[in-house]
Amino acid sequence: MAGSSKSPTATRVVMALAGVLFVFALLVRGSKPAAIVRPEDKPSEGPQIEQPLQLLARGAALRVAELDRWVSKDQEPEWKAVRGSTFALKECPATMDWLDGAEGQRFGRCVAALRGGTREDAFAALVLVFQLARASEWKPGLRGHIEHAERLGALLEGWLRSWSARSASDPLLVEPALSAVLLYGRVMRVAWRAPVLGYNKAPYERARALLLEIAGESAHRSEFGQALAARHPVAARGLGSDFDVLEGLEEECAVLYPKLVGDCEDR
Amino acid sequence: MTEAAASPAPHSVPAERHAEWLIALGALMIGCGGLLLGVQVDANRGFSGTGYAAFALGGTLALVSTIMRARETQGLPRDGSGAFAALAVFLGLAFVSGGVLAPGGPWMIAEFAALLVLALRRPRDSSRWIGSGTLWLLVALFLFRLWITYQGSRNHWQLLSVPIPILSWLPFDFLAPIQYVALGSFTPWELGLPPAGVDFPITLGLWSGGFTLCAAGLFVVQLAAREHQNDRVHDVIHTLPAPVAGLVERLLPEDEWETLGLHGQPTRLLCKRIEALVRERAQRQREFVQAFERAQLLGSTRADDFSGAIQAALTELEPRPANPRSPEANP
Repeated sequence: MAGSSKSPTATRVVMALAGVLFVFALLVRGSKPAAIVRPEDKPSEGPQIEQPLQLLARGAALRVAELDRWVSKDQEPEWKAVRGSTFALKECPATMDWLDGAEGQRFGRCVAALRGGTREDAFAALVLVFQLARASEWKPGLRGHIEHAERLGALLEGWLRSWSARSASDPLLVEPALSAVLLYGRVMRVAWRAPVLGYNKAPYERARALLLEIAGESAHRSEFGQALAARHPVAARGLGSDFDVLEGLEEECAVLYPKLVGDCEDR
Repeated sequence: MTEAAASPAPHSVPAERHAEWLIALGALMIGCGGLLLGVQVDANRGFSGTGYAAFALGGTLALVSTIMRARETQGLPRDGSGAFAALAVFLGLAFVSGGVLAPGGPWMIAEFAALLVLALRRPRDSSRWIGSGTLWLLVALFLFRLWITYQGSRNHWQLLSVPIPILSWLPFDFLAPIQYVALGSFTPWELGLPPAGVDFPITLGLWSGGFTLCAAGLFVVQLAAREHQNDRVHDVIHTLPAPVAGLVERLLPEDEWETLGLHGQPTRLLCKRIEALVRERAQRQREFVQAFERAQLLGSTRADDFSGAIQAALTELEPRPANPRSPEANP
């Protein structure tokens, strides 16, 4: 016994250390998780686009001209031309048909160019895509034409892939990006469920892969995924579903844009 | 006798005992385990506490268990090391119990009730603070807590989602509400998850490590506290002259000290208790030898059966003939 004895000092030191650990173990239980501060709630510096969500809503036409001064100078002429044609859409053309026409091709080039520009350019690109979603028809109908919804989904997908990560901490883009992902969920869900019997698996799987990429897994949410969970918990919860990851997104989209269902009723 | 008492005992007990070191080591393990069981990691790798609700119930369970054990053993820690061991065991029980309970809601209350029933039961072995049944229940509750945290980390707010045969196979959306049955639903608030969601793999690692450290620390401190109490009794006995102390230890073997109620007694009562026990056992021994010497029944037994075996065993108690060369035989 004596051979394995430790010095009294060492024993006292270990006991004191254990006592300190006891205190820490008690105190640590009361520590609060860090609060999530939304980017748009942070104090703003310099001039900024006020209430960006209004430019994605039904009354966007009333304010869209404000964006002219925010768009990059080299993009401004094209932006003005495309915004004019997009906001002038009246006949509710089928989305893909219009995109394949002359105006639509110009629209596609402009959106791609803006998407690669500044954050204000990217926001302008999203405004155009939302206007297209509002003024063209992408509802599959009874015959199940999903190509229109797929094209609109591809436009949103490209924007989200480029800007979702950066938007999570951007006071200008965070809310528009979340609106974009909600609309994306609705559009792809429409394409997925277009057949009267059964489902189109391709759009669903594509959407699921993108959402996993930009929002992360439930145990490892990206910053964008956390922003989605903070503002639209039903949508974020739905992302973990084994059966329908898009249901929550559509439910939240129906709250924000109840008439934006692909039949031009929201113009 | 006086000379023997004045000389140092041949097997003197060192001032620093191995048991004290083990108590310190076990307490350190309990402290580390309690720390790990008290934190959770969110998706931003931020740390936050698990709250005081479950810990408070764990503390209540530890208190009940401690009171029940103190009633059983009728002893209290009598020195600094003993008190520190008791504190470590109390906190270890509170950490472990609080760590396995669900963080809130009806699940937590049901689990608390189950553990309370076990804590109120009379301990079968008073030397152990946790019975094996309680330990297995704690392990089961810990696995349950890990499972509901895992479900919560995936935003699945039920224990299980069971598909209903036939209905779940039909591809009709309007059947969705009746295609699956959710068993044991709960809410994010009951789980006390951080706003950013819990990082399950890291949290699982922390909690598992904490639970293991606490359980192992409890085991070590229990053994060390028992050994420490034995050291106290040993010290008291070895204040006697060495030959007398040896005889006392033959009459009162060390592995019976706890059951004889020698643990946790103040020194004065301990001396009285040892004195009474020695007197009682010596008297019993003496009566037995006298009864054996008077007995004439054993002559009628045979050597190859039960009574013969008993006779053979008792024969060994007969006083051996005195050695003719010993000083007592040749004064």
